[in-house]
Parts: sequence; C-alpha cells; structure tokens
Amino acid sequence: MSDIAIFFLHGLAYAGLLFLVSSGLTLVFGMMSVLNFAHASFYMLGAYFAYWLLQITGNFWLALLISPLMLLVIGALVERFLLRKVHVLGHVHELLLTFGLAYIIDEAVKLIWGTNPHAIIISGFLAHTVNIMGVTYPVYRLFVFGVSMALGLFMWLILFKTRIGIIVRAAVEDSPMVGSLGINVPLVFMGVFSVGAALSGLAGVTAGPLLSVDPGMAGAILVDAFVVIVVGGMGSLGGAVLASFIIGELQSFGVLLFPDFSLALIYMLMAVVLVIRPEGLFGEKQ
Amino acid sequence: MARSHNPVSRFGLWAVFVILAVLPLILRGYQLRLVTEVIIFSLYAVSYNLLLGYAGLLSFGHAMFFGTGAFAVAILLEHFAGLPLLLAVTLATAFTTATGFVVGCLLLRVKGTPFALLTLAFNALFYAIAVKWSSLTGGDDGLIIDPPQLDLWLLTLDPNKGPDFYYLSLAILGPVILFCWYFTYTAMGRTVLLMRENEDRMRFLGYNTLLARLSLFTLTAGLAGLAGSIYSLFFAFVSIDAISIETTTTVLLMTFIGGTGHFAGPILGAGVFIYLQNFLSELTENWPLIMGVLFILMVLFTPGGLVGIIKGAAQWTASRRKTPDLRKGAKNRHAHSGS
Repeated sequence: MSDIAIFFLHGLAYAGLLFLVSSGLTLVFGMMSVLNFAHASFYMLGAYFAYWLLQITGNFWLALLISPLMLLVIGALVERFLLRKVHVLGHVHELLLTFGLAYIIDEAVKLIWGTNPHAIIISGFLAHTVNIMGVTYPVYRLFVFGVSMALGLFMWLILFKTRIGIIVRAAVEDSPMVGSLGINVPLVFMGVFSVGAALSGLAGVTAGPLLSVDPGMAGAILVDAFVVIVVGGMGSLGGAVLASFIIGELQSFGVLLFPDFSLALIYMLMAVVLVIRPEGLFGEKQ
Repeated sequence: MARSHNPVSRFGLWAVFVILAVLPLILRGYQLRLVTEVIIFSLYAVSYNLLLGYAGLLSFGHAMFFGTGAFAVAILLEHFAGLPLLLAVTLATAFTTATGFVVGCLLLRVKGTPFALLTLAFNALFYAIAVKWSSLTGGDDGLIIDPPQLDLWLLTLDPNKGPDFYYLSLAILGPVILFCWYFTYTAMGRTVLLMRENEDRMRFLGYNTLLARLSLFTLTAGLAGLAGSIYSLFFAFVSIDAISIETTTTVLLMTFIGGTGHFAGPILGAGVFIYLQNFLSELTENWPLIMGVLFILMVLFTPGGLVGIIKGAAQWTASRRKTPDLRKGAKNRHAHSGS
C-alpha cells in the first residue's frame, strides 16, 4: 500500500515538472502557432543559471526568481531579433530557426559549463520530509507539484479572466483587426514568447534539485514534453494539465510494474492517441 | 526545379561521371574516404529533401530510417554467416522500407508542425529501442561488422579496401540518386510537388493525397535505409549514434545548407558539410557550435541555401547581360518558401 502511495506521489511530482515545461511550450504554440524546439534548451539554461546564481548568492529562492527573469530577457531578444525576421517565410523556417537555436544553446552550455553533471543542493524546509498518506516523503517533490498547480491556475486566470488575456487571444484570432484597434500586436507576440521562455526557466530551476544539471537534460525532457502536448492537444492548456498527469503517473507506475518497458508505455499511449484522436485529447480538429 | 535538358547540363552530367570514375587514381586513402562519405550522405540528404523540399514535410526523425538500415545490415551479416553482401543490403533496405510504411501510417495522420514534432518523438523511440535491445544491437557498444567480399563474375571487390568500396558505393548509390532525380519528373513526383502548393485542389481533382504522401514517405525511408546500410558497411561498424537525433540534425543541416529548392542542393550540402566538418574539427572541438551559427545565419539571410545563392547570382548576371536595367535583376530570388 505504501509503495503505491510513494509511486503515486513520485508520479505527481514528475507530472508537475512536465506541466511546468509543457505549459510554456503549449502557450507559445497556442498563441503564436510556433513550436519552440529551443524550449527544452531554455529550460536547461534556466537550470544552469540557477546553479550559477546559487554559487554566487547561496539562496535558492533568489535563483528561483532571477533565473526565469533572465530567460524572459533572452526570450524577448530571440523573438525580436531572430524569430520575427523569419516569420514571413512561414512555419517551416520558424521551426528550423528554433531547432538551430536549440543546437547552438546545447553546444554553448557544454562549452561554458563542461559536460560533467552539477547538483543543485537545497536547504531549509524544502530539504525536509513530511508524513503524507502514511509515508515519509520529501517536501521538495510536493513543492514541485504545488508550484505547477499554482502556475496552471495563474495562467488560466490571466488568459481567461483578464484584459491582457483577451488581447492575447484576440491577437491570435485576427491580428490585423487587433492591430487596427491600436494594439501593438508584435509587442504582444514578443510578450507571449518571452513569458514562454520565462516559464521554461522556472521549470529548469525547479527541476535542478530534482534531477541533475547536465547537458543531456534538455534532450531528456524535450521528447516527454512533446508527447504531453501531442496527447493533450497542441495549444490546449487543459490538455497539457491532463496529459502531464497521465504521463507522470504512467511513467512512475511503469517503473514499478514493468521496469523494462516503462519508456515504451508513454510511446504506446502516444501511438494510441494518434490512431484514435490525432488532434489530441483536448485539441481542435485540423 | 526547372527541367534542365540543355546541352550544357547534359555535358556537365557526363563530366561528373568521368571525374567520379577516375577519382581513385588521383585521390588516395583518407581523401578518397571523404569522397565516399560524401556519396553516402548525398543519398541520405537527397532522400530527406524529397520530403522537405519537394513535399514540404519537415521531419526531425529521418535518422530512424538511416539507423534502421545501418543496424539491419549489421545484424543480418552477424547472424547469417555467408550471406552475400548485396543480398544483405537489399534485405536491410526492404526492411527499412517496411518500417517506413508502418511509421508513415501513424505519422501522416497529422500535418505541419505536429508532424515535425512527432517525427522527433518517433526518432527518440527508435533510439530508445536500439539502446534497450542491446542483445541485438550491442547497445552503447555498437556492432562490429566484417563485410564479406563481393564476388562478381569477373572481379572481386573487397569492401575493406578504399578504392573498392568507393566503386561499390558509387555503383549502388549513384544510380539510386539518378533514379530520385528521375522520380521528381514522374507523374508521382509531380503530384507530390503540386500537393505542397495546393493540397485541396489536388484532392478536388481526384488525387488521393494521403496515399501519395504515404508512398513518398515510404520511399524516402527506404532510401535513407539504403544509405544507412552502406554507411555501416563503410565504417565496418555501427554505433548507436547512427539512429540518434544528431544524425537527423546532420541531414537537416546538409540539406538546408545546400538548398532545398533544387535537386542538387542536398548533394552540394553533403559535400560542403563533410569537408567543412573535417576542416573545422581539426581547428576546434567546438565545431558543432560553428555549424549551428552558420545554420542560423543561413535560415535568417539565405533561405534558399547555397543553391539559392548560386541561382540568384546566375539570374543577376543573366539579367545584367540582357537588359541594362538593373532594377529588374535581384527580384524573384528565393521565390521558393515552404508553408
């Protein structure tokens, strides 16, 4: 019984991390129709920035705040000076650009920080354990899940309950019309892209203490995040929540039940969704 | 992609053929190996460009077929002693083609960006299978191959000798590349091209666009598998890298650097990439960073690739010669763009 509780909680923590990564990806795709291949590389940068900030300041909370802000700036620069230039050439070129960017970031990280894994060590109450559902469990994993829940709620509020959300959604539907109403549409898109980058940064910092910080971490999460947005439906926030939960738990219980095939379970889920509902659980038909 | 039947290009084709035929007399050892590598990667890149340039399908998973072919030939030769070389290559290619058909059935249910994303996910799946199934693939250690001699009626080719392998790969891959070129002018090739431009219209005209796309996808998978099988014979070794996302990145960079808008683009790209990689890796171990920057610069400034630059320059000089009015010249460059 307690085994099941532990694996369920592990699943929740991983689901939280998956949602943190895929929320930014799905936001940018849903709002700009750009699939950001560099998203996982931004996530990795977020983790490395956190490692670097932690070495300087020694304060995890400060890293949790500043690292996403650094990614916010990087995201804004990438949109303004790179992505916007190829927008007129169509989606293939946008994809190629973000792919090239991911390639460069991955190489640059190896150049700057080397290939050895680094650890982000947390202290204070996050490093403690609590008694929950009859098992002793690390606080940090619950914290990851809590952060992702809070973020999901926050994103939903902003997008669907505020004026900013209305402007962003309208700019997606009909950007010339929104533009002629006096709203700076390119600025809106820049904002969306940089918020997406900041979210990946947040995910990176959060992942740091959970996993190790190494040059392979981008590739490791990229495919899982892609599976999340395919299963959930591309661009759907609700779909990302549900798919993160399913895949997080599937991953966790897969290790418990079929240790050799845990990886295959996720791909099988993806294949089944593709056959039955190619647009994803919550996606719109193409 | 205009059909070039003018005498100049036909002469050019013969010239290329003659040069390739006498090349082992001029180049030795390492230099010849580089050319052989260019030939192998040319087919890989040409097959990739049939997807990207002709059908407008951006795939991030072409290495799954290259790697399947590479592993298939190695596994066949390991488990069936005395299997003739050409039969092993044929079987590996057939197996990859069948794999391509199955994967295509799943992947082609979606288009555009979701397709690009799923190809990457499937490549990751293939990679994971190759790592996990180490009893068959050797896992992280890879497989060492001992390529058997090729006995033809009059001559015997030893795949371990540079010039022999060069002729072998040229004799197999050269005609296949020419076939791809021919394919782009067949009704099927034209259908694919028109589908990229206006799929709805093709469907209204009664074409089964899904079937056409699936056939093309299966064909390109088989071609990549053939290139992969020759690749692993060439190195007499196949590692897990052959099926990794990096190998997809390689073909993407080659094709894009060369130019997607012309049949010869990927071949040019494969040559430039391999020689550049060879040159840069001697200077610095961070050569992938330089490649990445070069790639981004080309995406930003020359979306037509090297062929686009050459075409633009040719058009510019031609228009300069014909009309003294310079303003007409530089337009219409990079007319090709995917959507």
